[in-house]
Amino acid sequence: MSARQMKLGLFLWATGHHIAAWRHPDSHVTAGIDIDHYIELARTAEAAKFDMVFCEDAAGLREADINIASQTSRSIGFEPISLLSALAVQTERIGLVSTASTSYNEPYGLARAFASLDNLSGGRAGWNLVTSANPSEAANFGATGLRPHADRYERAREFATVVTGLWRRSGAGHDGQSFSVRDPLDIPPSPQAAPVMVQAGASDDGKDLAARTADVVFSAAQTLEEAKAFYDDLKGRLAAYGRQPDDVKIMPGVAPIVAATKAGAQAKYDALQELIPDDVGVALLSSYLSISDLWRYPIDGPLPELPESQGMKSRQALVIEQARRDGLSIRELARYFAGARGHWRVVGTAAQIADALQERFEGGAADGFNVMPSWFPGELDAFATMVVPELQRRGLFRKDYEGRTLREQLGLKRPM
Amino acid sequence: MHLAVSLNIASATGQAGLTFAEIAGFARKAEAAGIDMVVISDTTEERSSSPFEATTLLAALATVTERIGLVASASTLAHQPYNLARRFASLDIISQGRIGWNATLRQNSREAANFSRPESITDEDFRRRAQEFIGIVQGLWRGWDADALLFDKAGGRFHDPVKMHFLDHKGVFFSVRGPLNVARSPQDTPVLVMSGLGESDLDFGAKVADVVLFEAEGAKAAYDDLKRRAVAAGREPETMKVLMTVGVDELAAGGMEAWLDGKSCDGFNFALPADLSALDDFTGRILPELRRRSLARSVYAGAKLRDRLELGAGGAK
Repeated sequence: MSARQMKLGLFLWATGHHIAAWRHPDSHVTAGIDIDHYIELARTAEAAKFDMVFCEDAAGLREADINIASQTSRSIGFEPISLLSALAVQTERIGLVSTASTSYNEPYGLARAFASLDNLSGGRAGWNLVTSANPSEAANFGATGLRPHADRYERAREFATVVTGLWRRSGAGHDGQSFSVRDPLDIPPSPQAAPVMVQAGASDDGKDLAARTADVVFSAAQTLEEAKAFYDDLKGRLAAYGRQPDDVKIMPGVAPIVAATKAGAQAKYDALQELIPDDVGVALLSSYLSISDLWRYPIDGPLPELPESQGMKSRQALVIEQARRDGLSIRELARYFAGARGHWRVVGTAAQIADALQERFEGGAADGFNVMPSWFPGELDAFATMVVPELQRRGLFRKDYEGRTLREQLGLKRPM
Repeated sequence: MHLAVSLNIASATGQAGLTFAEIAGFARKAEAAGIDMVVISDTTEERSSSPFEATTLLAALATVTERIGLVASASTLAHQPYNLARRFASLDIISQGRIGWNATLRQNSREAANFSRPESITDEDFRRRAQEFIGIVQGLWRGWDADALLFDKAGGRFHDPVKMHFLDHKGVFFSVRGPLNVARSPQDTPVLVMSGLGESDLDFGAKVADVVLFEAEGAKAAYDDLKRRAVAAGREPETMKVLMTVGVDELAAGGMEAWLDGKSCDGFNFALPADLSALDDFTGRILPELRRRSLARSVYAGAKLRDRLELGAGGAK
């Protein structure tokens, strides 16, 4: 039995991670207005001993074009801190991690909300820090446009310093560039002392901030080589901040489609791909590339040359790399990314998926995985009942919870 | 008559903060007693001892209660209007239509200093900013028509794009494009409770509030004045409820009938300190007396807070 075991997060996302998940005949199409749907998913994940559930977030519409938006389920959903606060008292052991932006919040209020979630859950909360790269969010916060990447990260660094300082009882009396805070936090600490810090930025600024402050890093990588390069890069940055490699858990996203046979899994995947309208796929691809006029180019032609993005730099590079490497047309690329939003997809039997996860886990490319079921609840149920037992048989994943708090689950030190 | 209990979870001076089990137990007790709503606030001028922030607490309470209305105070200085509108819309879906936001037009002196306004903000600016803020929040809550969601899997139409509306607000303090990325509230809009109204806020409050919390002093004149202003703003006066905020010790149960007979309020909001004995005193001593006089309902009329308070669609359109 392997001494080192992988960590598993469940990435919640309404009807599922596949852009057409809501059209799947068995998906919960009302997920965005149904709290019981989320309670059921969290309890399924808890029964399977997942370390945490995770919510992403955006404070605005994800699609700029409302006709495209209306063909997806992405324009409505729960605000994640209220969602996870409800889940906190409906679950017992699983971690609860929410995204919140440093661009559109104030550190005192955010530190307070997460400290409250941490107390409600008995020490199971985490904050995924993002800087927000979506212009439709900026329009809801008085900004005339998206701030440059470097400025967003400068604000994020100060924000993270203030929040962690408040949680650790040393953040009062801050008077900085973007923020000032006079008082100590008026919420007492939970059993895990401070919520877990999560980040997903993969740009140079993002990786550096993660090396300085994160306990968990979510990443996106298609190949083992990409995943390993990211893993080595991030772990290599830790020493500069006086941290050990094991102080940060790196968890790449994986979108599994599992069935009893390889052909069965492929058929499930193909059926979902058939449900993606071309205009939705191209619009989604455009947003990852941070350009607005991709529709002008022939859909069966290659990706045009693109200017450097002020949005999600690393994601743009990843998409371009994929297109050039595999010689994909715009249509092919759009469908490919619409499925799992640029994340690693594995289609196969439970043994094949366990093999793939084991290879990356043991190959120095991951400490665990952020699991992104293609549609809910079916693909989560399949992963929980087929893949998790296979990982447990191999000694790669826990059979029961080891600790009470999320920090204990993840094997993280208590913050000083 | 409408009854609310308000609980300031931050004001437990000299004792450990209430646990979630204690707060949930109180909300269920109030629910069993037929109280219309619990109002939670979590800020004082002193440092709090509560382990919870009010809106996160409301989400958790929503899952362990079934019928009672749940209202939280949230400061306009500590939030952006888009974020706050979103939080409460989300809470309303979680609770299946039992949520209200208590917005105050009076600022808490501690907040400016913790929210990057070391030079603080004048009361006048706070008030003007809060009025703009509240207008944006209500506007965002109305961004989706009731029949906007289609859920049409076969046709590939999740929602009807013409039934989703941009707010496009550009004001003195905020600009907010919208729409909210949370579906329409089960009660169309969460209930807007307002408190801390000064003389210069009365027209605004009478125009937009669903419930106004008022100090007991000078109640009759204030009640008549508010209702008159609501009519002037084009509202049916009964679509805005005025609750007198009283402390348990300040008003014996016997005095309430006289208040209602004189029509000086639509009900009462009992302000309780975060102290379990006060909660028990209220539910054990005062509530049974109210029920004996048939002043407190023991069965709920309507599943949603807006129905229970008989508010209609609420506020100015």
